[in-house]
Amino acid sequence: MPAAWTAADGLLLALGLALVGALWAVEPGDRGPASLALVRAADGRTLELPLDRDARVEVSGPLGASLLEIRHGRVRFLDSPCPQKRCVRAGWLDRPGEAAACLPNGVTVEVVALGRRYDAINF
Amino acid sequence: MPAAAPVLDVTREDRRVAALAALGVVIHLAEAGLPSPLPGLKPGLANVVVLAALALHGWRAAAWVSLLRVLAGSLLAGTFLTPTFVLSLSGALAALAALGLVGLLPGRGPGPVGAAVAASLAHMGGQFAVAYALFLPHPALLHLLPVLMSFALAAGVLTGLVALAALRGLERRGLHPLRGPLEADRV
Repeated sequence: MPAAWTAADGLLLALGLALVGALWAVEPGDRGPASLALVRAADGRTLELPLDRDARVEVSGPLGASLLEIRHGRVRFLDSPCPQKRCVRAGWLDRPGEAAACLPNGVTVEVVALGRRYDAINF
Repeated sequence: MPAAAPVLDVTREDRRVAALAALGVVIHLAEAGLPSPLPGLKPGLANVVVLAALALHGWRAAAWVSLLRVLAGSLLAGTFLTPTFVLSLSGALAALAALGLVGLLPGRGPGPVGAAVAASLAHMGGQFAVAYALFLPHPALLHLLPVLMSFALAAGVLTGLVALAALRGLERRGLHPLRGPLEADRV
């Protein structure tokens, strides 16, 4: 190995910069499309809705139909036949683990991540 | 009469490798005392010794120095067989593979800086892959990758420049480490 700068040094440096630049551009990491909205109704029915496809879903319960909306990788209660509308006021859910519920109508929705079950493993 | 104890021949290469590895361990332990933004994130200045071994004595010597440094360093730091050790070892193996590959480039091949950059990126990439597979299989970890690889790139340039300066210094004096003060032959 020469104790100097060579053409190969320039090539490797350029490749390294390109690689790091590409990583910053792509920004790998978990995203909405990898998540689901898990909907449960009062009668035990469950519904799995992918968050990468915009949709509106009606889920019926004892009080009537709760309306859920999925848009831009997020889900929320758009409307519900309950008196206090706490489910609607909970707003948009987008991170795995977040959940909202319309208890009077028995409808819940939770964001679930696809993939591994464990967040971390310690020894 | 007890059987004669086996006699090991200590070759010149053994002495070179052992002394370089010891130097690497000292640098590694000294660097471990420095503060860092993320636990375990270090410039890796001990790798200057590995690069010097590569330049002066070839890939095999560099592999011995690197792996001995990982082993002895972990024993002295008390991290042998811990997840830290697993990450250190996987990084070292990935870096050695990269050093082997860049040595195959046509022409004069890379100088210390190019080799250090390749090895550093491979080291961080290898460690990240093992950390993702074994310890933190969560997609959120991927968000760290650009930051870690940027750091690895900078650290590679730094260690490469230090190794370049060291090798030039050795060349100027016509000396190579640990061949004894009377042997001043050049490679």
